[in-house]
Amino acid sequence: MGTDQSRARAVISQFLQRTNKSVDGMTDDTGLWGDGLGLDSLEAAELSAMLEDELGSDPFSAGGEMPERVGDIFAFYEAAPSE
Amino acid sequence: MIRLIEGAAAASPSHTAVVTPEGSTSYGELLHDARRVAAALQGRNITRFAIVEPDAAWVIRLLAGAALAGAEPCQYQADIEALEFEEQARALGHSVVVTRRPDLGGPLEIIRPQELTGQASHQIVQSAGAQPLMIRTTGTTGLPKAARHDWQFLARTVAGIRPMPNQRWLLAYGPHQFAGIQVLLHVIACQATLLAPFPRQPRDGLEALLTDRVTCVSATPTYWRFLLAEARSRKVKLPRLQQVTLGGEASPADLLEELKTSFPDARVSQVYASTEFGSVSSVKDGLPGIGVDALFSESNPTLNLRVKDGELWVRAVAGMIGYAGESGADPSIAAAEGWQATGDLVEIVGERVLFRGRKSEVINVGGVKVHPLPVEDRITSLESVALARVFGRANPLTGAIVAVEIIPMSGLAEADVESIRLEIKSAVADLPRAWHPRSVTFVDAFETRGEKTVRRMEE
Repeated sequence: MGTDQSRARAVISQFLQRTNKSVDGMTDDTGLWGDGLGLDSLEAAELSAMLEDELGSDPFSAGGEMPERVGDIFAFYEAAPSE
Repeated sequence: MIRLIEGAAAASPSHTAVVTPEGSTSYGELLHDARRVAAALQGRNITRFAIVEPDAAWVIRLLAGAALAGAEPCQYQADIEALEFEEQARALGHSVVVTRRPDLGGPLEIIRPQELTGQASHQIVQSAGAQPLMIRTTGTTGLPKAARHDWQFLARTVAGIRPMPNQRWLLAYGPHQFAGIQVLLHVIACQATLLAPFPRQPRDGLEALLTDRVTCVSATPTYWRFLLAEARSRKVKLPRLQQVTLGGEASPADLLEELKTSFPDARVSQVYASTEFGSVSSVKDGLPGIGVDALFSESNPTLNLRVKDGELWVRAVAGMIGYAGESGADPSIAAAEGWQATGDLVEIVGERVLFRGRKSEVINVGGVKVHPLPVEDRITSLESVALARVFGRANPLTGAIVAVEIIPMSGLAEADVESIRLEIKSAVADLPRAWHPRSVTFVDAFETRGEKTVRRMEE
């Protein structure tokens, strides 16, 4: 279990493992798109589904601002009421 | 139906027609009982009625008697919930039900099957005209509908069948399903023996294969998969079947191969049929899909299949007369000279027409149209996977993503799900990226409208 943020962290590392993305030197400042993790829309959709399955909601579907960096995902769960 | 039983009873009255957990019944006995049922229906002025009955021999007695009397029977699945039955019987206007179940009825008049065979059959007014039959279907929308058929049209598909009294057919479908009715008709037309265990799960079918000298089986691909898996896990030696028939869903290539290996003497046929348009095509070469030589063309104007805008169209030979509550034929079908869309998406690859899923099942992933079937085929061909169900899952980023539910071969508790995930990834690697499953969940059964099954076409 643990806090929503630590669960989100576990989901992200599982996602990166499943999609064979490099996790070397990833910080909260690493971007999700382009030069960062380089997610495309299909990969982002996969991550959003995994987060939704684990945490009940996800920052990509919530209708707010689209997350830009890894840290934005954690921030979403800090702000969101826990399940 | 009744004519075929009369034929079989005249040829060999003591030959066993049907074997159920309640015993064996000969063709002579079936005909005798059917005549009593007909007389009793006419004596009670019953012109249409519901049947809720698990035993196939009783179902045949009731259906044949109704055909003789010109009354319209309609079967409901034997284990239907009492409240659901009352609701659906009301919707279809049934006021009489023939059943042994003590919990059914509500406002309906209840008749026990034995009451209809209890009296001598001296007065039957032979039905000169219609021999109606109503077959319920869940349809693709999930809403119950009922198709109105006539035995005289249905029997066209078995016209000219040679008697093969030594064949022993397993009834793997419910007799209330269209495919079950087709099996009943076929068995009676060839004066063979029907083996009808109840319940009708694949493990019951396997038991019948091992102990009842079954020679021919018609079942869905899902049923075959479970039957083969059950045989593997029990390490039993399968009997040498003469005939293996698949229908109700598209048959994946790997399953066809496995069936050919498991039953090397058998002819492997795939039937293309539905409750609405009847039995249209039968493919006997054991390859997936349908040969393009079965398609209508200027040089083959009598054939009843064609491909239009990536969808299979059929011209029904022994189709339904209409849905319950609708009088005439659908005018749009008449306008298209009998051709109607099936909702089955197909692609012509070389010499084959291959199934790509149902029209309503196409998943739109960011504008890319994904057909679930090729994805499902690749995943179910994995040894670690017993069954897979591919469907669209809503997603705000791409509209939808491809999702899959997996029943692992080893059972949910024993499965190494992370390694199955990797196998799935390699299995779909040749497909475009939008087709790759983005949501993979592991389950121990599929829940579709309360039934544990994968469903493609109509029952």
